[in-house]
Amino acid sequence: MAVTETHAPLSAEERAEKRKLMLRDAIALISLFILTAALAIVTYALFASFTRHRDALARRWQATGERELREGHPTQAVDALSSALEYGPGRRDIEIELASALAAAGRNREATAYFNSLLDAQPGNGEIHLDLARIAAKEGNATLAEEHYQRALDGTWEGDGYVRRRNVRLEMAGYLISREDYTRAQTELRTASGNAPNDPAIQLQIAFLMEQARDPLDALNIYRSQIRRRDATADTFEGLGRTAYALGWITTARDALQVATVTRGFTAQSKTARDAVRQMLADATHILDLYPSPDLKVRARAIRVLNAAKTARSRLSGCFASANVSGEMADLQNKWTQVPARLSVSVLERDPQLEQTTISLVYETEQQTAQTCGAPTGDDALLLKIAQAPLAVRQ
Amino acid sequence: MTLSKIRTFLNEIRPGAAPLDVARLAPTRDERLFLVLSIFIGVISGLLVVSFRVAIEWIKILTLGAAPHAGQYRLFFVPAIAGLVAALLVHFAFPAARGSGVNQTKAALYIYNGYISFKTVIGKFITAAIAIGGGHSLGPEDPSLQIGAGVASIVARKLGLSRQKLRLVAPIGAAAGLAAAFNAPISAILFVIEEVIGQWSAAVLGSIVLAAISSVVVARRFWGSQPMFRIPAVTLRDSRELIAYAVLGVIGGFVAILFSRSLGYLRPRLRAMPRWTHIAQPAVAGLLVGAIGFIGFPQVMGSGYGAMDHAMHGEFAWKFLLLLALFKLVATTLSFSSGTPGGMFAPTLFIGAMLGAGVGSFEKWFFPHLTGTVGAYALVGMGVLFAGFLRVPLTSVFMVLEVSGNYSIILPVIVANTIAYLISRTFQRVPVFEMFAYQDGLDLPSLEEQREETPLHIEDAVEPLGVPVAQGEDSLAEVAAAMAEAKASAFLVQLADNSWYAMTVDELTTAVTALAQETRMEQAVKPDRVPTLFPDMPLDTALPYFPRWPLLPVLNRASRGKLEGVISLNGVLKRYQSF
Repeated sequence: MAVTETHAPLSAEERAEKRKLMLRDAIALISLFILTAALAIVTYALFASFTRHRDALARRWQATGERELREGHPTQAVDALSSALEYGPGRRDIEIELASALAAAGRNREATAYFNSLLDAQPGNGEIHLDLARIAAKEGNATLAEEHYQRALDGTWEGDGYVRRRNVRLEMAGYLISREDYTRAQTELRTASGNAPNDPAIQLQIAFLMEQARDPLDALNIYRSQIRRRDATADTFEGLGRTAYALGWITTARDALQVATVTRGFTAQSKTARDAVRQMLADATHILDLYPSPDLKVRARAIRVLNAAKTARSRLSGCFASANVSGEMADLQNKWTQVPARLSVSVLERDPQLEQTTISLVYETEQQTAQTCGAPTGDDALLLKIAQAPLAVRQ
Repeated sequence: MTLSKIRTFLNEIRPGAAPLDVARLAPTRDERLFLVLSIFIGVISGLLVVSFRVAIEWIKILTLGAAPHAGQYRLFFVPAIAGLVAALLVHFAFPAARGSGVNQTKAALYIYNGYISFKTVIGKFITAAIAIGGGHSLGPEDPSLQIGAGVASIVARKLGLSRQKLRLVAPIGAAAGLAAAFNAPISAILFVIEEVIGQWSAAVLGSIVLAAISSVVVARRFWGSQPMFRIPAVTLRDSRELIAYAVLGVIGGFVAILFSRSLGYLRPRLRAMPRWTHIAQPAVAGLLVGAIGFIGFPQVMGSGYGAMDHAMHGEFAWKFLLLLALFKLVATTLSFSSGTPGGMFAPTLFIGAMLGAGVGSFEKWFFPHLTGTVGAYALVGMGVLFAGFLRVPLTSVFMVLEVSGNYSIILPVIVANTIAYLISRTFQRVPVFEMFAYQDGLDLPSLEEQREETPLHIEDAVEPLGVPVAQGEDSLAEVAAAMAEAKASAFLVQLADNSWYAMTVDELTTAVTALAQETRMEQAVKPDRVPTLFPDMPLDTALPYFPRWPLLPVLNRASRGKLEGVISLNGVLKRYQSF
């Protein structure tokens, strides 16, 4: 209930007093406003200076952290990035780097927790999933690692997401190869290859991984496509040689390796790498010298078959002397008894059927003895290589 | 106008000139000014609190370095030197700057008529900035609260507000200062109501809200509008997780008691030591706090907001989190008990965050099927300690919501905070700020008790209708006959417009003598009417009416003509005496 009070009207003197009071209040409020404005200016200046300094500190510590991480000092990186985050609170890039540093420092539990909390804020962040995949991989949790790799592929990426996803796919393929899950690795690599630009570095990387994933044919195709480039390097020819050799395409392997040894970049490789290439080239050349190619003249081929038969028989005898003989080996020896004991070049020249039987028996012998008596050496090893894909050698 | 006249005129109108009879000249002036001043108080408090926090950060960078870490020798001596400097300043220049600032603001309200000197504001700003920036385990919120209250007091005095308004203005500034420090206006308003004023007062609530909002607007202009801590939305997929939060509430409740008792034990003993040691105590405390930082826990130094953020992101293992909580408790007890100026809010939040994150990490590790994030547990932990240690249950809930901007966490917060609060209330009868007030020799009202007092209502004193009720159209003769039969000393008259009149038999006798017998009661009664009272109204509302009326009818809100009963002066007094 409102109460209405009535007051006696103000006298003239009181009205003057009231005016003074109002003026006094007005002046006081204006003074207060001016004071507030002055304080605001001072605060702005102070804060601007502080913010600049803070940003500079955040940048400096972030750079230090990144450098430490690059140089393999993750513990120092964690300290530096923590400091950076203190001066740049809420900076997602620093947070992710810090979590990565924690992981690199072996503080997997903290790193996982940190990444998980970041992930809670950004559930689809590909980079966080990738880091979690790496931690899971490091801890041997294959299921979780593969799950995070897959989510990283499906997740969002800042900047060039296309490139980042491809890198994730290649990293995932590498992880699958390390776990000897070659089939899935091959699938990922084929996808990566199908989407990759015709950039030599990327193509070579994919081809190299394909080799490791035991997919030499796809790798060879990539190498082959790359050697057409004018700037093809020794690596490309070496890759082609290696994959061709793995497929048993010895002619291609020899040709590619020969080119590799004279292509730019070869001499810049380590001695070990160069020696390996040279050894493979020598083997390829020797294989072609041993190989009884249908393209050879009849006599030349008969000579090679005869030499191969001698080598195989010797290998079989040696194997018999050193190991327990299985039933299959006994069958094999029986087969050799059906070949004339005094086999000669002229006999082989006259009897193409015998030549074919003999060379088949040579291949069978090399394969059988490799299983029974271990990996062969010397010409036996090269014959075994031919035996694995005799028709491919000419390719 | 001559120069001397101008000078005289200016002298007359300058703020603080000879007092005028404001109540007569402009009766509504104070109310109007109060609202305008609330905005100014909010803005100035906001600016000062921003400067205060910047000063703390600058001092920290300049003294402890940009990235203090364990093993740095400066951690040893910087807090000690900062403590010594702050103690010297407090001892020789700013004696009122000692302590956190909350009790000082309450003292201003209840003892000093809202007076906080300019010197105190400056002293609090400087000494607290040095202490906190120098690594003492204290926070900037309580000093901000006092700085805000001081600003309000100064501004109100300069404007010549009435004593009543001067007293009310300190809480307004306190809310503004706290709101700017926390970037959380609702929590600041609630804290001031729960801990400083103790009641919802409509007279001041509007101004408190205006000041708090103004200061937060200013603070956000500088720090940004994002909440202090960012955690993802909390989804309780499994209601069993509430058990884990309840466990956190239990742990938090007992840790709050431990924290209170540590302070209750050490603080009076240090204060009782010879006066010269009061200068050395902050230095020694600084040395010990520095030692904690040096051996591997630099996170406990200063306010510790950075470490809280790290904890929320699960950067620390649960064992380390619990160690941090323990060392922070020790460090804060040392810093605060030594008399170093600085607040308790940030350390409380720190301990709560570490406990919460510790429990959360433990749960994640051992019960991974439960879904709560570590950040969520850390946040709930903050609220738990706030509720258990500072004993402000309502503020603790809203504080968590505001500092995280995450309202999905409300259910775990309410569960855990309530448990912690109840445990703390049960085992620690005196709240911590009240305990400090007793130790300082101040007899401030217990706001926790005030909050829980149940005022009496009219329904508590209402009596059944035992007196006759006459109608307005009844004649005097009829009523006189009825009264003679009833032998009542007073009765009620219901008039045609549903208003009521209470008449004594003496008054009736006078009317019968003076008027004709057939005169109707509505013509016989005097023009005033009994007040309209309902059962839910405060009982003291009725008291002023008793000298005039012998009894008062209590009406039904749904039907005004219907009587719930009557109250009499005797009945009301008896009810108060038995309360």
